[in-house]
Amino acid sequence: MPRATDYQPTSTSPRRVTRRDFFSRIGDGVHGAALASLLGADLFLSSPAMAADAPHRVFDLAPREPHFEPKAKAIIHLFMNGGPSQVDLFDPKPALEKYAGEVPLRDMATDITSPHESGGLLPSPFKFQKYGQCGMDVSELLPHFTKHVDEVALIRSMYGEHFNHEPALFLMHTGRTVATRPSIGAWVAYGLGTENRNLPAYVVLDDPKGLPINGISNWQSAWLPPIYQGTRFRSEGPPVLNLDPRPDWPEGLADAERRLIRCFDQAHREKRPFQQSLDGRISSYELAARMQLEAGDALDVSKETEKTREAYGLNDALTHSYGKRCLMARRLVERGVRFVQLYIESQIWDSHSNLEKGHRYACGKTDKPVAALLTDLKQRGLLDSTLIVWGGEFGRLPLSQNNINAAASGRDHGPPGFSVWMAGGGVKGGSIYGATDEFGHNAEENRTSVHDFHATILHLLGMNFRDLIFERHGLKERLTDQFPARVVSEVLA
Amino acid sequence: MRDPRRTALLCCASLWAVVAPLSAATPTFDSDIQPLVEAKCVVCHGQGSPQAGLDLRTKASILRGGKSGPALVVGASARSLLLDKVVSKTMPPGDGKLSGDEIDALRLWIDKGAPANAAELATASGGDSGPLTEHDILPIFQLRCIACHGKRKQEAGLDLRTVASRIRGGKSGPALIPGDPVGSLLIKRIESGDMPPAELQLKFSVRAMTDGELAKVRRWIAAGAPGGPARETLVVDLKSDPLVADEDRQFWSFQPPQRPAVPEPKVAALVRNPIDAFLLRKLEAKGLSYSPEADRVKLLRRAYLDLTGMPPTPDEVADYVSDNRADAYERMIDRLLGSSAYGERWARHWLDLAGHTDSEGFGNHDVPREFAWRYRDYVIRSLNSDKPYSQFLMEQIAGDELGDYRNQEVTQGLVDRLAATGFLRTASDPTDAPERGFIAERMNIIADEIQVLSSAVMGLTVGCARCHDHKYDPIPQRDYYRFSAILQTSYDPYDWLPPKKRQLDVALESEKREVAEHNAPYEEKIEKLEAALAREEGPYRKRLLDERLQGLPETVREDLRLVAEVSGDERSEVQTYLARKFARTIEITGPQLKRKYPEIAGRVDPIEEDLQEAKGKLRPKPHIRVLMDTGGTASGSYLLQRGNPIVPVQMVEPGVPSVIKAGLQPYEIKTPYPGADSSGRRLALARWLTQPNHPLTARVMVNHVWLRHFGHGIVSSPSNFGRSGNPPSHPKLLDWLATEFVLRGWSIKYLHRLMMTSTAYRQSSQVNEALLEIDPENVLLTRMPLRRMDAEALYDSMLRVTGRLDAEQFGPPSEVEVKENKEVVSKPTGNGYRRSLYVAQKMQKPLTLLDAFDLPRMTPNCIERRQSQVATQALQMMNGSDVWEHSRYMAGRLIDEIGPDPREQVEAVFLRALSRKPADDEMRDSLASLKEFTEIWPTRLQKDRDPAPVEWKSRWLALASFCHSMLNSAEFSFID
Repeated sequence: MPRATDYQPTSTSPRRVTRRDFFSRIGDGVHGAALASLLGADLFLSSPAMAADAPHRVFDLAPREPHFEPKAKAIIHLFMNGGPSQVDLFDPKPALEKYAGEVPLRDMATDITSPHESGGLLPSPFKFQKYGQCGMDVSELLPHFTKHVDEVALIRSMYGEHFNHEPALFLMHTGRTVATRPSIGAWVAYGLGTENRNLPAYVVLDDPKGLPINGISNWQSAWLPPIYQGTRFRSEGPPVLNLDPRPDWPEGLADAERRLIRCFDQAHREKRPFQQSLDGRISSYELAARMQLEAGDALDVSKETEKTREAYGLNDALTHSYGKRCLMARRLVERGVRFVQLYIESQIWDSHSNLEKGHRYACGKTDKPVAALLTDLKQRGLLDSTLIVWGGEFGRLPLSQNNINAAASGRDHGPPGFSVWMAGGGVKGGSIYGATDEFGHNAEENRTSVHDFHATILHLLGMNFRDLIFERHGLKERLTDQFPARVVSEVLA
Repeated sequence: MRDPRRTALLCCASLWAVVAPLSAATPTFDSDIQPLVEAKCVVCHGQGSPQAGLDLRTKASILRGGKSGPALVVGASARSLLLDKVVSKTMPPGDGKLSGDEIDALRLWIDKGAPANAAELATASGGDSGPLTEHDILPIFQLRCIACHGKRKQEAGLDLRTVASRIRGGKSGPALIPGDPVGSLLIKRIESGDMPPAELQLKFSVRAMTDGELAKVRRWIAAGAPGGPARETLVVDLKSDPLVADEDRQFWSFQPPQRPAVPEPKVAALVRNPIDAFLLRKLEAKGLSYSPEADRVKLLRRAYLDLTGMPPTPDEVADYVSDNRADAYERMIDRLLGSSAYGERWARHWLDLAGHTDSEGFGNHDVPREFAWRYRDYVIRSLNSDKPYSQFLMEQIAGDELGDYRNQEVTQGLVDRLAATGFLRTASDPTDAPERGFIAERMNIIADEIQVLSSAVMGLTVGCARCHDHKYDPIPQRDYYRFSAILQTSYDPYDWLPPKKRQLDVALESEKREVAEHNAPYEEKIEKLEAALAREEGPYRKRLLDERLQGLPETVREDLRLVAEVSGDERSEVQTYLARKFARTIEITGPQLKRKYPEIAGRVDPIEEDLQEAKGKLRPKPHIRVLMDTGGTASGSYLLQRGNPIVPVQMVEPGVPSVIKAGLQPYEIKTPYPGADSSGRRLALARWLTQPNHPLTARVMVNHVWLRHFGHGIVSSPSNFGRSGNPPSHPKLLDWLATEFVLRGWSIKYLHRLMMTSTAYRQSSQVNEALLEIDPENVLLTRMPLRRMDAEALYDSMLRVTGRLDAEQFGPPSEVEVKENKEVVSKPTGNGYRRSLYVAQKMQKPLTLLDAFDLPRMTPNCIERRQSQVATQALQMMNGSDVWEHSRYMAGRLIDEIGPDPREQVEAVFLRALSRKPADDEMRDSLASLKEFTEIWPTRLQKDRDPAPVEWKSRWLALASFCHSMLNSAEFSFID
């Protein structure tokens, strides 16, 4: 029976032996990540075609030095699809009470997606109160979040460009309203690589109930090399597509096949010296085997204590799904994954009607898990090195929509002004930046563009948005493209 | 019915002024900005000849801007060049950058409308105050009104496009009275909020006028509504172009290729054709030569994979090996070039360049492009028939203008010519949904098409000039808009056609008949099923309607009952109104009915299932997805400031980049054919591009072909032949090939033959330390590269080797299906699986296997594939369902064809997968593994209590496992 370890190569080159030596040690697991980073690019070898294609460079996921030493080594992006309403969560507007039912000015009217359904100014049905040392106003819908306001930097002056989900999602992810550019996660993976090569650099935890709008394009690498695109880890069933050996196979078959393949591949390589891509090929099969172990373990929340599971809301049907993903996110950043992005059940924030019911539900589902994530990271000393970002593709208009009766009223999409928050590594806790107008419609004070937002995230991860460059068609492409952008230094610690 | 809310829209303007006054802190030019620019900027941007033509001393001169266009966009700091420069610290150069506060002041000033002084701030009218002409107003009309009052539609008889038609007005009289904005109907209707009508804005992807725009229109009418453009159309004189100098045109790729003399290298024996002469000359200069010729069978396999995307069959290997003729190799190349698989393989390459997909790729629905496959078929046919590249381009760029397709007999040639225009229809186009059809989206689509055309065919990056002058190449912003004006008569951003309306009802009679015949039985069935459904549901529908009507006043009940009975197109005007108004009452959906009366499900569900199935079998009526000239008068094309569609700066004429001029007949628009209602703009482009001595066309194409045979291009930046691209490694070879290509009638097959019969191509891919040292990236071609199959070659080869390939050509693609574990696979046909090219290319549902192996996203196209080697590929190959399914099939067939002898089985698997027999040690290892597999399988079969005889089934599955291992081997997917 052929066993890879029995196979004696007929000729040996010192270079190859060394590398194989390394591989076998990395295989031990514990020292994997450390060794991998020592090895640098060698683990993820590219084909010669690729090397030639770029005098340029070989693309891999080896960890790379940031431009400067950051606090945050990883990021968890809690993407709130659908457009959470700023005036009902983070940006109280008493003027809405005063002018309730009044109709808007022409310039506000041009921001309405469905003019024929639009009504007058709609006060928030929720009560606000000040919390924390910083005295941040937060709505009654987020009782768990309110305990963390002193760790949070709230930006109330975000603005977008487009009132439809698709372009707005693209804008939020890629900096442009079109489908043709790389997502911020792909940029981060490209810029920083990963600390644990048994896991992807950029992991997406989408809702088992369905893909968000724009589907897989949200985490695309576009023209960045495909290795930087987000990898979907599923929170139900096996986390990665085809991670486990086929269920219809007998036990031991996968190992037996792997031995034969290794035997074939080593012989093949011996006859083709100095072809780096063949080394890479063999190592990719070995990595796959290790990923089976590591990814399964990373996402296995049953290994958590009952107390932790309870804290994340895993015992409650309402919070279970999102709580599980928050907990998985923590386990992933703990293991060196660079960028974790969470999505939520399609459009739960998209309250065109029944705002009160809809937002109550969305907050009920997410508030406790998000707060638990912050607490847990802090307890484990990970909050200082992890950036948490919370926000959707836009906010909502202060006007009513589908105004059949007060309780059934909703709000239309509101790109001109909305809120997002950040917490964790490098973020100035308890800060509030920017402001919308009297009605929470338009970002007025310290307007923060999506490009500013992206530049700030990159900065918190140790990268200068002007220097994170990918050469394409001879051009220097950036996440912020050619748009003016500034790091919002006011929210930095 | 008037909506009272709309009237109130403006009444609350006063309220607004109270609660949201312009901040007192708003900076003005005179008091805040002037001192700032005086201190930091005017040293360079001041008196005399300011830098880049930009004078920053007054508000007016800032607005006027310089070489790069206006320095700011009033009200939009984010789009203002001035702010961009100071924020990015590009300006001012050296010390003396602006402080954060100063930048904030500048930002605020721009966003607050850039008031010149306190007086202007007080009136807060916004915008500049120069005299207005039609030129300033037309773009506003184009954005807000023309969709219903222009070329395609003249609602209420009104056409706003010309002076005369505006004064003439429509049913309600003149639209405007020069000098009297208050009395002008147009102003009244806009002010009241009636126009554009709220309920139609979405349908026509139009937004209401902003206050600033309305103020501008008022001011223009007050001034007498003067006609004529104030600023003249920008005309480019190639003889003296202020923006593109003759030195710029001297760059190598902007000069026509000159045919070089073929050098004579020392080792003449290695020279099979001039390619070798050029390559060897360079190698010899460095004291190098070629690597030895590759092993005969390896070379065979390389040629097969290169030209057909699949390895040879064992019979083909045997035939070739036994062919002792001196020209056996050349004959084999010719045979492959003559095979239909050639066109399929190389169509994939061209479809990458074009960015072809079978769906729009936008949103969750990922709207299917029902007829995109015709373009794919056109490409395959064209390549297989070795259509001259010049004609190939001509048809793809202007197929609709090559003859009067409206009045021609429908032939395959006509269908192909029209389908060819699918080349410029590959950009993701979401505009079928009106809420995604606004001007910005339209401009993005046009930009993507320009990207496809310029990157794939011209090797230029024109796209950056959309917002500013190109930073590296002499392509001013003006030239982007001149270039995009060529597309304006087919992609008119102001007179837009969504994808649904860009289909022609043109098809061969035979195809129409075929589809009709195919559909007839299903249509009949559907009719019967629908009748049956109506019978079952009828009484319940009536009951539910009656119940709902109870909630309404007596007076309308009877009318509504009638409306519900009359079908949509037979309704009277009043009934149509009622139907819309009371839609929620009278429209009853199947699910609503079932929720209300669950008892009917038992009878209704089976009918609905049958109905669904029958409908799924229907084939759509044949159409062609095209780009066509829309005829008539073209709307104006504008240079847009920073690419912003609502800030038109200057009118431009269609034209090609001024820098490409040397030795060419200029771009000239002619009527395409006598009596044509087609602008001829694209045809003129096609003619201009396919001139024999065009500096880019042939060079770029030759490089595309070279890159796919030799692993990297002679120009290693295939989409960028400009100054920021990489210079050619062998400039003379490139020019010789380009001129040779044209001389040989633009024959692509000739190029393949030339490249593949060179000694260079026949080299071995073996490499040694010395070669790696001297030529690490193989720029000199001291060897052939060892390559991994790309995604499609791997997929197709697996089908071929395992016997699962359904070789059917052309036609609608196989659909994809999403398995329970979310793996995306192709649906099988009755005869296996079609090759990847014939599987629906869904942007949101790429085949999982292809996706793992670096299938590119068409954004909007892909010029050169990238390869990665990551663990997920191994996972997919080891654990994915298709590789295993194919392996089992292969094993079954082998047992049938060869019998039970393991030795013969192993040999057959080697021959099929690797085109060679196993060596002794490989046979030994293989047999040992096969035995091991045979011992492992029974455990599972016994556990599952499989009804099949365990011994028999174990042997089969063990062989399947062996095939599976072989498909997973490096040798299978790497090309020597």
